[in-house]
Amino acid sequence: MAPTAVSNKLKATHRKQFQELQEAGEKGERERTMTLHRLFPLRLRQTIAQVRLLHGSGCGHQLEEVAMEPELRKETSVFRTQVNDPACQSERHLGQYYTLPTSHLHTIFPHGLPARYQQQVKTFNEGCVMVRQPALELISYLKAADYSKPAVRYLLYGLKGSGKTMSLCHTIHYCSTQGWLVLHIPDAHLWVKNCKELLPSSYHTSRFDQPIEASNWLRNFRTTNERFLSKIKLRQRYTWTKRESTEKGSPLGELVDMGVSRVKSSSDVVGAVLKELRLQAAETEESEGFRLAVAIDGVNSLWGRTTIKKEDKSPVAPEELTLIHNLRKMIDNNWCGGAVIATLSQTGSLYSPSSAYLPKELLGEEGFDSMDPFIPVPVSNYSEKEFESCYLYYLDRHWLQHPHSKTDEGKKEIIFLSNRNPSVLERLCAFL
Amino acid sequence: MAAPITGLLKPWTPRLFLVRWSRYNPYYLEPEPRKELYNMPETELTTEQKEERELKAVRPIKATTNSTTSSVFNDPVLSKFVNMMMRDGEKILARGILTQTLESLKRKQVEKYHKAPQGKKAEIECNPYAIFHQALENCMPVIGLASIQKGGKFYQVPVPLTDNRRRFLAMKWMITECRDNKNRRTLMYEKLSQELLAAYSKEGNVIKRKHELHKMAESNRAYAHYRWW
Repeated sequence: MAPTAVSNKLKATHRKQFQELQEAGEKGERERTMTLHRLFPLRLRQTIAQVRLLHGSGCGHQLEEVAMEPELRKETSVFRTQVNDPACQSERHLGQYYTLPTSHLHTIFPHGLPARYQQQVKTFNEGCVMVRQPALELISYLKAADYSKPAVRYLLYGLKGSGKTMSLCHTIHYCSTQGWLVLHIPDAHLWVKNCKELLPSSYHTSRFDQPIEASNWLRNFRTTNERFLSKIKLRQRYTWTKRESTEKGSPLGELVDMGVSRVKSSSDVVGAVLKELRLQAAETEESEGFRLAVAIDGVNSLWGRTTIKKEDKSPVAPEELTLIHNLRKMIDNNWCGGAVIATLSQTGSLYSPSSAYLPKELLGEEGFDSMDPFIPVPVSNYSEKEFESCYLYYLDRHWLQHPHSKTDEGKKEIIFLSNRNPSVLERLCAFL
Repeated sequence: MAAPITGLLKPWTPRLFLVRWSRYNPYYLEPEPRKELYNMPETELTTEQKEERELKAVRPIKATTNSTTSSVFNDPVLSKFVNMMMRDGEKILARGILTQTLESLKRKQVEKYHKAPQGKKAEIECNPYAIFHQALENCMPVIGLASIQKGGKFYQVPVPLTDNRRRFLAMKWMITECRDNKNRRTLMYEKLSQELLAAYSKEGNVIKRKHELHKMAESNRAYAHYRWW
């Protein structure tokens, strides 16, 4: 048969299967079919489609992988996995990359991902995250926690460039897919340094407002949590000026819009939003309740020093900033119905030595006492299996281009130069 | 107790010897950084190599430069380019600029590759090293001009160039072009990657400069017999 005739016949069968799948009514199924079509040769797709019709949806993927032929499994699932839902990932998928759907990338992570990772997403035309042990551990704790008790605090710590922010993003993806409300502060260090505009707070005389940072954050918060903005109603009346106020019972979306448009009072709006969410997260999950995930990257900046100066050149302490003051209240474990996931970061921190990475060193006395008790989650460099997986992923995406980097000698040299540290490896492979 | 006193008794010698800048006695041998030659068993060596090995046991060896590596990723052409880009001895900065250039070249090409349809993928060259070498080759002039004095006047005479001279001219033109003709706010690596991509597809200002040199040489054909070598 001529090739076009064959492909036409196959296209017809695929169209039929597509219609069947649509009747089953799963959008995720179609996405997964598309990725399967992209990866597997023509002949085997029919087998896979038949198998899929037999088994169910969601976590039934694992059965499909078993049903597939062994040669296929070696080709594709060594460094990639088709299980794109963080809730279904387990130890079997350790070291494998899963794809973040593009819609989720734009809604959940408008501001959360590290800069170099965003560049990588743009270059490779897809966002893939490695399933690693710290993130899986955190997700299992979140699954097992009791949400009628006060919020548990988790702290990710580790050496520079070992993957703390990416593990945090993986956990946030899990929380989002489970329908939680995610409060993501991408880098708390940006709030304590390089402040262009510092206004004295209208609410409290000794505090200072940061309108630009607060309005930026509110804008991103609005993108992330669109569906909650109309559901949550305010419990209190907020007066901004003599003529403006937000009434009790109005939706949260109105408050956030006001904060984005009225830049001057945006820091107070942030404080109000945090307070409302803290009070309302404690409700049960029948119709109104939701779970709150507070994710902060670089939490050690809340208790350190700032480089912001007042007009008389005296330094501003972190508690004198409205944003930091309100954030500290969120970290206290006096509210129920959610979790606080934080990451330590030396990279953006002020006045801390570059060799410091442990919680006691970076948080300081005050910070440690406020965070105590917390669950520490250590994040280390890649293991051998994870390194292999990363190497194969770069090869697959045509990222390792130097002819010698594909040989054994070159691979040994890459391991030696990077010490399997994720960020050093990424920077090294960037020019190889 | 004895150590500080004995320190004063021995003759003073400077702590740092700048050996590479001094003129070595011809007795000294050149260093050999390549790993493969040391791993070869006895049987595979030719007589010259066996003699060299025996010589290395008795003669002293010169110190290597700081940029010598036994790494598989070592490239002499790239090292030369880095040295030519370097200013005030800041090799780290020059090397950083080169790695950023290679990265940005690769990013542009890989992005194009992933967005291209299946048929066009094979035509896109993603290897930044291949692009760099090809671009440099496209910029190398075939014939040059030399200033020769005859009868009181100086004439621009077309002259064949050695490989080293051609490579030097290509690199020099590339670097001066990227330094001079760029916007104040464009960074060096961005401009370099743009020029290298243009040179790879035989466009751009450096290729134009090469063509102008060729035209000058062509127009001065009449003076070619002034050359005596």
